Amino acid sequence: MRVPMRRPGALAAAAAIAATAVAGCDSGGDDTIKIGSIAGLTGNFVTTDVVETAKQVFEDVNAAGGINGSQVEYIVKDDAGNPQRTAQVARELLDSDVVAMAGSASFTDCDVNGGFYNQARISSVMAIGASPKCFQSPNIAPVNVGPFTLMTAVLQYASEQLDAQRVCNFTVVLPGSEDAVNQALGRWSELTGKELVVNDLTVQQSGDMTPYLLRAKQERCDAVLFNPTEQLVVPWLQAASTQGMTDVDFLLLAPSYTDSVAEAASGLGLNVYAGSEFEPYTAESQANQEWRETVQRAESPATAFSQGGYLSATFMVEVLKTIEGEITRESVNQALRGMEPIEHPMLGTPWVFGEGESHAPNQASKIVRLEDGQWKVVTPDFITLPRD
Amino acid sequence: MLELSAAIAGLVTGGAYALMGLSILLTYRLVAVVNFAQAAVGAFGAFAMVLLVEQGLPLWLAVLAGLGVGAAVHALVGLIMVRWFSGAGEGIKTAVTVAVYTSFIALGLRLFGAQHPHRFPKPFDTPAFTLGNVVVTWMAVITLLLAGLFAIVPVLLLRHTRIGVLLRALAERPQTAELIGIPVPRLAMAVWAITGAASALAIMIIAGQFASDFGSQALLITPALAAALVGAFRSFPLTLVGGMALGILQSVASTWSEIKEYRGVLPFVAILIVLVWSRRKERWDEFA
Repeated sequence: MRVPMRRPGALAAAAAIAATAVAGCDSGGDDTIKIGSIAGLTGNFVTTDVVETAKQVFEDVNAAGGINGSQVEYIVKDDAGNPQRTAQVARELLDSDVVAMAGSASFTDCDVNGGFYNQARISSVMAIGASPKCFQSPNIAPVNVGPFTLMTAVLQYASEQLDAQRVCNFTVVLPGSEDAVNQALGRWSELTGKELVVNDLTVQQSGDMTPYLLRAKQERCDAVLFNPTEQLVVPWLQAASTQGMTDVDFLLLAPSYTDSVAEAASGLGLNVYAGSEFEPYTAESQANQEWRETVQRAESPATAFSQGGYLSATFMVEVLKTIEGEITRESVNQALRGMEPIEHPMLGTPWVFGEGESHAPNQASKIVRLEDGQWKVVTPDFITLPRD
Repeated sequence: MLELSAAIAGLVTGGAYALMGLSILLTYRLVAVVNFAQAAVGAFGAFAMVLLVEQGLPLWLAVLAGLGVGAAVHALVGLIMVRWFSGAGEGIKTAVTVAVYTSFIALGLRLFGAQHPHRFPKPFDTPAFTLGNVVVTWMAVITLLLAGLFAIVPVLLLRHTRIGVLLRALAERPQTAELIGIPVPRLAMAVWAITGAASALAIMIIAGQFASDFGSQALLITPALAAALVGAFRSFPLTLVGGMALGILQSVASTWSEIKEYRGVLPFVAILIVLVWSRRKERWDEFA
């Protein structure tokens, strides 16, 4: 928790920030490559681990001599999960001449700023894209799988690997994402030739979850997909446990794949599965090693989100290194659009920005299962969905 | 059949709404303030309890401490009311509690973290019986009993005890009460503290069923106010009935495909219907 500053302290801090800003301008110019990022450092949706890890990647690059001799200046702006702030900080970043965005993790960034990025001709390599707009913009390419592709992947795992016969879906639809959810569900039907027994897209974020579970029980669902926020998943699982649904496979998405959910939901006696955005962060695998070392250096918690921060910054650095001559917004755009796909062991499909009106390069996920209060990987290989 | 199961499941939510509604009514009847911040105050107490449990404190001690926090926070709101707004009208006092509510939300999110869930202890989460395919837990039974208690005890207290008479005087004619020698500020502060502890208890019991973040808990104020409104901000038994009915209605609504999307707005619909009904005999076309 931050201790409120006393007035003289606040003044000194303001002066220090102003001085840094001035110094930044002076020492800027051709020597510095400015990269921007929008994340939630306060408010309802906090993603500090994303930007701390991305920052560490850039610091490591700077320590090793920078990119073609230039240092990276990483400017992170807090949008506090507030759309007005999201719009405002994007304009502040562009005013301070950032050449690209990397490591952004804000729920509202794509919806609020997608058009603006297009207009201002700036590209964003997003760490965590969550709304459909993040996967439909010519200027944004997230490194994560995203909730919609993940939904298809998790359902496919249940119906094909767990041999679930009666698959049901209960989804909280966020504003603007109904089409994307329907597409994801339709894609699963196309891939498997199966239909959902229950498809309820009217689940509310508030109130008791028991009525939905009673419906699942009555319809004899043997696999139930639910896409809640972290706060809602524990009451959901607790209610399921109370209703004795121990023979049902509960399928969750990446927001539920966290240590705190594992801890809070342990001992309920349920079969709980979740899709991971990347190589599962809880796996002590070779693929995760460099990321894990980076997170430790950044003194930030190791989370799936921080993997997104690491990968987006790493990919940005690789692309920047290919640019010959001056690094500007335009040359970064060109480099991203003309880049060769990057293979990374933390991803199941190569990551590429590329040409095109929309970008969803990551189409692969692994599945983790809750066992004794810990997430264990149950799919050694990535489940890769065929491209549309 | 599913409707019946949902209705039975809704009893628990209804009990929760009723508990919170009764806490609000208690504050209103005793100190004449419609307190929009009351669920947020309760959430402070409940989150203090869950943090202490996570630190390894025995549950009963943590619950006591949580009740203390609820009492202290509500007493603070009371202090503001008694000090600066004792002479103000009901409208102004209510507006102040709305301001307090928004600041409590911001403070609560900051103090108790927004993103990671806490697992609220549910010591009585073992099945009591199965009714219509629904497993009813002891927790549900206790919630209902407690809601009944919250509805009956204040009525007995206000009608049949000396302190009840003093409290009624305090709520209805605070200045007259002070003139005849009732220690109004001290009594009012005690009332604020006790209703704060009651709200904390209500939220502690019901928190585990709902989204476990501070914001969602504080938002329980809406159905609770709807319940209190059914009781016309006077009747404890009717508030109990209002809360129960709202919980059952919301639960059953989630099984009706035509209206289940609108489950969240049912408290507002209830408020609207009650307001129109209770004002049906008033004449709207007269100048004041």
